[in-house]
Amino acid sequence: MRNSSINKSRYGFYFVLPYFIVFLVFGLTPILFSLYLSFTKWDGFSDPVWVGLDNYARLFKDTYFFKSIGNTLIIWIMSIVPQLILALALAMILNEKFIKGKHFFRAVFYFPNIVTPVTLGVLFSLMFDWQTGSVNKFLMAIGLVDDPVYWFNSPWLSRIIVAGVIMWQYFGFNMLVFIAGLQSIPEELYEAAQVDGATKWDMATQITLPLLKPVLLFTFITSVIGGLQLFDAPLMLGNGPDNSTLTMVMYLFQTAFQQFDYSYGAAIAYAIFVIVLFFSLISMKFSNMKKVEE
Amino acid sequence: MKKWFSILLASVLVLTLFTACGNKVETAADANKSNNGKVEGKLTIWTFFGQVEDMAKEFEKKYPDAEVEVKIFPGDQYQTKLLNVLQSGKGVPDIFDLERSYIDKFVNSNFTANLSDMGAEDLVKDYVPYVHALGRAENGDVKAISDHSSPGGFWYIKENAKKYLGTDDPEQISQMVDSWDKIIELGKKVSKESGGKVHLISSHANIYDIEAYHMKPWVKDGKLKIDPKWLELYETQKEIFNNDVDAKLDFFSAGWGNAINDGSVILTAMPAWASFMVDNKDGAAEDKFGVARTPKGWYMGGTYRSIYEKSENKDLAYKFIEFIASEEWQQHNLEATGNMPGLLSVYEKNVDTFKSEMFGDQNVLKPYYDTVKDIPATNSDKYGEEVLAKWRKVSGQGVKDNDDIKDVIKEFKKEVKNTFPELEVE
Repeated sequence: MRNSSINKSRYGFYFVLPYFIVFLVFGLTPILFSLYLSFTKWDGFSDPVWVGLDNYARLFKDTYFFKSIGNTLIIWIMSIVPQLILALALAMILNEKFIKGKHFFRAVFYFPNIVTPVTLGVLFSLMFDWQTGSVNKFLMAIGLVDDPVYWFNSPWLSRIIVAGVIMWQYFGFNMLVFIAGLQSIPEELYEAAQVDGATKWDMATQITLPLLKPVLLFTFITSVIGGLQLFDAPLMLGNGPDNSTLTMVMYLFQTAFQQFDYSYGAAIAYAIFVIVLFFSLISMKFSNMKKVEE
Repeated sequence: MKKWFSILLASVLVLTLFTACGNKVETAADANKSNNGKVEGKLTIWTFFGQVEDMAKEFEKKYPDAEVEVKIFPGDQYQTKLLNVLQSGKGVPDIFDLERSYIDKFVNSNFTANLSDMGAEDLVKDYVPYVHALGRAENGDVKAISDHSSPGGFWYIKENAKKYLGTDDPEQISQMVDSWDKIIELGKKVSKESGGKVHLISSHANIYDIEAYHMKPWVKDGKLKIDPKWLELYETQKEIFNNDVDAKLDFFSAGWGNAINDGSVILTAMPAWASFMVDNKDGAAEDKFGVARTPKGWYMGGTYRSIYEKSENKDLAYKFIEFIASEEWQQHNLEATGNMPGLLSVYEKNVDTFKSEMFGDQNVLKPYYDTVKDIPATNSDKYGEEVLAKWRKVSGQGVKDNDDIKDVIKEFKKEVKNTFPELEVE
């Protein structure tokens, strides 16, 4: 309930002013400038030339851009599904009282999250290197394969590796979120179920999962937004054969900052904004429907 | 809280923020221009290359009244950083380094001073032709100068070459591999005799490096042109790949680094500046290597220097350019780092005498001197490097997948058209 005695003195505005000034200079201005750039042709060496909607028309015919959208969605789905399953399973296990050293394991599983994605990308590219990678050496040592697997020469294997990097990086974070959610479920519910003779499975499916729905939705929605912005880890692993691991933001980066086609890069940025907005709205709609169902 | 105090606090926060974010705007106003022939003042140089510090030190030694501030920005964001300051016109260095792969955009822009007007034609008249050609704009003006050339050769471990090729003599080996046909035949033999464990060359991709600058330009009159020689070479690459002539190691990959040192590849196509890739801890690589010539002369990379068009320090900056283009500096650089000179006269003076610990008694300048003379002098081209990179990518994948050349060309044209919509692609 709103407290009518809150001091609404205008002096408070002075304290929030720095934030708004910073946002105006470093946030809003570049956003609006990018919009202007997207209607021009500009390589950074001469003045921008107004070309109207040309960049957007080019975008609609750009098969590589559409491919990058597809790649992003495929990699996101391949990473989010195992990520959430693993995080949930581990959270439920590590939330049990009888597990020894659970704090240690929570920390260990969280560790990949504090490693930068660029480092992870390099690490995985070395691990999966065709000739010198430890993964192939291990597979050959245990006799699973006779010849080294050329991981990065296969579109689907490349995508699986990229998805694996992302899954490995974020499952620990999601696990902690799930543990927090699990700990908010009242203990009495489990005690009552136990008295009624419920099994562990019954408790997991009838109590834990339904009450964890809001947390699941939170991780799902945040992963939609994060997943559509996949960039640094895949960048370290390259475009993949036939551009199979080229994501939307990678394409933006390559266009704007490697080919120095700033104006087309700006158009791609706005297109990505629309796509992220679209999927975010779908996710929000989905979460609202669930609330109504509840 | 008092009103004045809150306003003061907010102002301090805002001011602190801007102070922290703003760069110190450097002007050359405090730098004295050359006076009565005396070289004095302060220069600022931006680079991505650590050895520029030694260059600055030697310059200061020669001109004690001059001061050179070197700012090094390692990593691949240097170009973006440089472009940003050039666009804003604030904090721009007097001299900035440019890498060969993107030099064309800068030398053809208004950001770089015309060095020809300042007398640079004299500086480059005795230069390796390909080196000074790359520093020229499309209209022929010198806009950037390098202090070195970067020829490549086939490096080999002598012991290994003796075992598999029967000799470690660079001249004999150069003759054994002076054509791709000879390389394929020799490679097949090496692979067979070693049971597939040892390969003659590191990658079929060496062909791109060695042949690229002998081809016709990719773009002429706004149209994409594929030199028919590339199509022939594609088949050669497939033959190399499919017959295990190469070890299928990408340049600068982990396996490639291992191969240089362990000898699983006999001949590694290396630019002269890449000796840092060799494990020479405690002198382990002393007298271990030799350099042979490749089928054609080639080079890789190169660092060029330009003067900022609006620099207030142009006279002093030109003195610096003059210094790096001099025999004095290039001789020092050769002795200190082993970097190959840009001046032919420095090559000629050292070709029969210069030795390097890693290469024992071999006069390593000799194969490189032959090489640089064989490289055509071609001016920087807006599309050349980027279109070549696309050809490498698409045809490299085609070699791995054993694709037909028609499919490769189709995919290549699609990539080029997508990146450069302004080009006519038939």
